[in-house]
Amino acid sequence: MIRDFTYAFVVFAALALFPSLALAGEPQQTLQGSVDKAITLLRDPSYKDAAAKPAMREKLIATIQTIFDAKELSRRALATNWDKFSADQQERFSKAFLTLLQNTYLDRIEAYTDEKVNYLSEKLLAADKAEVATTVSSKGKDIPITYRMLKADGWKVYDVIIEGVSLVQNYRNQFTQILMKETPDALIDKLTKKS
Amino acid sequence: MNSPLLHRSILLLLLFSLLALATACNGKKSQAAKDFAPPSATAAANTGQTTDPALADDEALGEDAAAQPVVNDPLMGWNRFWFTFNDYFYTGIKPLALGYKYAVPEFARTGFKNIYDNFTFPIRFLNALLQLDLTKAAREFGRFMLNSSFGLCGFFDLAKSDPNLQPGDEDFGQTLGYYGMGEGFYIVWPFLGPSSARDTVGLVGDVAANPLTWMFGLWNYEGQDQLWYLSYVVSAGNRFNRLPDQIDNYEAMKKSAIEPYVSMRDFYIQYRRGRIAE
Repeated sequence: MIRDFTYAFVVFAALALFPSLALAGEPQQTLQGSVDKAITLLRDPSYKDAAAKPAMREKLIATIQTIFDAKELSRRALATNWDKFSADQQERFSKAFLTLLQNTYLDRIEAYTDEKVNYLSEKLLAADKAEVATTVSSKGKDIPITYRMLKADGWKVYDVIIEGVSLVQNYRNQFTQILMKETPDALIDKLTKKS
Repeated sequence: MNSPLLHRSILLLLLFSLLALATACNGKKSQAAKDFAPPSATAAANTGQTTDPALADDEALGEDAAAQPVVNDPLMGWNRFWFTFNDYFYTGIKPLALGYKYAVPEFARTGFKNIYDNFTFPIRFLNALLQLDLTKAAREFGRFMLNSSFGLCGFFDLAKSDPNLQPGDEDFGQTLGYYGMGEGFYIVWPFLGPSSARDTVGLVGDVAANPLTWMFGLWNYEGQDQLWYLSYVVSAGNRFNRLPDQIDNYEAMKKSAIEPYVSMRDFYIQYRRGRIAE
């Protein structure tokens, strides 16, 4: 009886101390932490100056890097072609692809600096997979952005779906097309040039 | 305008034949199992996507992942030609669009867009009804009434401040998809850009349901003195008014893509499948 009471008290205390635990799960919290950090950076007036832009970009990339799972993103974007890449090629590909993705993603969210990100829902797809739905309101329009996350060492993003379009799937189609005619090294070259 | 009764009945006929076509296409595709499936499930089956997109993504990692998603593109030669043509065309008129963006303030451009959208309310309303979605139909109707009455013919989108009156985008392509018609194949049209066989048929329906067509017609009927060309002028004006934003989006796509043609095709197909599944 007393033990039950103690248990209830501990739960109550935990909820009181960390109210967000009760509202959002780990995946959303992890994501929110990174996205909020990125937005704070984007809004920081000390970076308004054009000369400070590269420094800001660097910090942004450092922030984004911790939340994107480069290997998982690359593996999914290459699909069955992934196994045809040597370990070294996989490594170089992941690096180049992540840089391109970061730039794409940052260009998108940079345009939304004055806008608010709403976290709509979090859905566990499996024990180690989750989907976090958000919207960004920009120019009076709500743009749905969904993040798919995987738990390896902490939750990390493996796909971003903007207005129903999965970025990974979009790249997968492009990579498939290119790899039909060209070698993995040629594809990595193209990626490096683009980013 | 003095559009004759004949004119209107031709359009109605066109609309009905479209619907008949939609039903026919559905019938051709349906197997016994699909016949008894609810329309939304049929649509999902036809687009090759399961209802849970995350699962579809996982399946895509399987053996036939290289072919996912199946986009039928038999006209790739034609499509690539017009893709390049459109690219040159829109790059060419970009300075014009930027000049327009500079000269006309954003609230005015948004206002023009709102007026056009408000005016073409029957397209979305009709399609919401055809998709048996009474909530969406009611929403469109509410938006139209509110914005027409108090929003200066729709210049101000007052309805948007109500979360239950958010703008929609139903069109005939989505309605055909709702009744189980697949995309058919991907096609790029000059000036209009990416589309599919289904959405092209849908476009004809959208034109028929557009009040501009009812008012002005699409061509001159038997020497009648009518302003048929206004249909084209107004819709071209609407497209031009939206151009500054669209060029931004297009350039973002081009910047992020290493194979822009494939990226654009996939964006279009994924986006439309998403709209229909909704």
